[in-house]
Amino acid sequence: MEFALFLGCTIPMKLPFLEKAFRDVANILNVNLKEMEGVGCCPEPVAMQSLNIDTWVALGARNLAIAEQMGLDIMTICSGCYETLKTVSVLLAEDEEYLKKINGILSKINYKYTGKTKVYHFVELFSQPEWLDKIKKLVVKPLDDLNLAVHYGCHLIRPSKIMQFDHPERPETIDLILEALSAKTAEYATKLECCGYCARLQEEIGENLVEEKMTELCQLEEEVDALIAVCPACTTQYDRKERIVARRTGKQLDIPVLYLAEVMAIALGVELEDLSLRSRSVKPDKLINKLTT
Amino acid sequence: MTQMLKKNASELDHEFRYEISEKVGAKSLLKCIQCGVCSSGCTVTEYVDMQPHRVVASCLLGLKKEVLTSNAIWTCSLCHRCTERCPKNVDYSFILALLRNMAVKEGRVPKEYSSTVVTIYNNGFVVPYTGGLKDNIDRRRDRMGLPQIIPPKLEEIQFIINETGLGGLVEEEKEDDE
Repeated sequence: MEFALFLGCTIPMKLPFLEKAFRDVANILNVNLKEMEGVGCCPEPVAMQSLNIDTWVALGARNLAIAEQMGLDIMTICSGCYETLKTVSVLLAEDEEYLKKINGILSKINYKYTGKTKVYHFVELFSQPEWLDKIKKLVVKPLDDLNLAVHYGCHLIRPSKIMQFDHPERPETIDLILEALSAKTAEYATKLECCGYCARLQEEIGENLVEEKMTELCQLEEEVDALIAVCPACTTQYDRKERIVARRTGKQLDIPVLYLAEVMAIALGVELEDLSLRSRSVKPDKLINKLTT
Repeated sequence: MTQMLKKNASELDHEFRYEISEKVGAKSLLKCIQCGVCSSGCTVTEYVDMQPHRVVASCLLGLKKEVLTSNAIWTCSLCHRCTERCPKNVDYSFILALLRNMAVKEGRVPKEYSSTVVTIYNNGFVVPYTGGLKDNIDRRRDRMGLPQIIPPKLEEIQFIINETGLGGLVEEEKEDDE
């Protein structure tokens, strides 16, 4: 299995240890990743789309065209990249006139997008039944002792008419992957709440959303070892704001936030010292302890 | 609190609804039945000056100025629950993007949004990747045994931004910064 790896910006530049974990997982699962030459930002779905939808679509289509030249589908590791590239691919597949207009722009820099590129997030691939089986067989360190809370985030699954994968209100794909690693997953009321990262104008929106989710997770009967996210924005939003909220409110909020590929890497046998689990505000020391004793 | 707004029919922009609905994906605007499902599920419903169903109603009524100057169109967290749950398939999150595009054309754009586009224009990436910042990023990746970042073809990205009409905005931002 081979994909064009679309890294985006935030992970390779600010959180390279998440990329490292993903590459390790892909390597163990025999997924070949080809680097993409000359791609830029996906571009990020909040500002670019808000300022000009055509700019957003044309820049996205250029990235899709580069994958098409490689003859490969795209693998994304960030929900923002996934949303942009998948939305652009679906919009252009459904609207021939628009595709023509966008190609009119791309042709001036010698690109053509015909609409062949499929866009994946690794959750979409690894949650397919045959991949779950493969993962189960390759687990060397079952995560039996861990109780993990999943955060799906918004852009992975909605709007479902575009993303066309998992249920938009009762998703299960990430839970299935964690169960394949033998981890337990927690059911909780605020599971589907947004992290608030994209609400740019009012800081308090994000802080209140983070407070709500983290407070609930801290009060669950069975202790939660980590919140698991699949997007760099959600990951940093919960990790950073959890500390800020704890300081402001005096609440004891101490749930570490891990990226799905990191826990996959642990279960698939990557040594803990080769991952950077402590590179965050809330250190997952209790979890590391559980895994090493 | 919502204020009572009195308007004569002659003060309304009756074409506004069609300005929106003529765009692919936004035709759904005209199907709204004002049930309020969008507003009840909205992540930011308690923070906006106009809730989603009221924004839609205002578009249909022709309250163009009120809609395009509201904070509601910029406060959205893009969770897409409105679009997902609408029983009439009104694509509210897409309509909001169109409304933001219209506000930008009238020169109203929050700095939080325009600065992101300038960063992409200057770097090709949404994270600054020049000078000392680039050196730090490269060194850190090298230590982890990760491959070098392949530079984006910046002139192509800038061409697309200019060609689709955002070049002027980037120039203005640069002047502001100087």
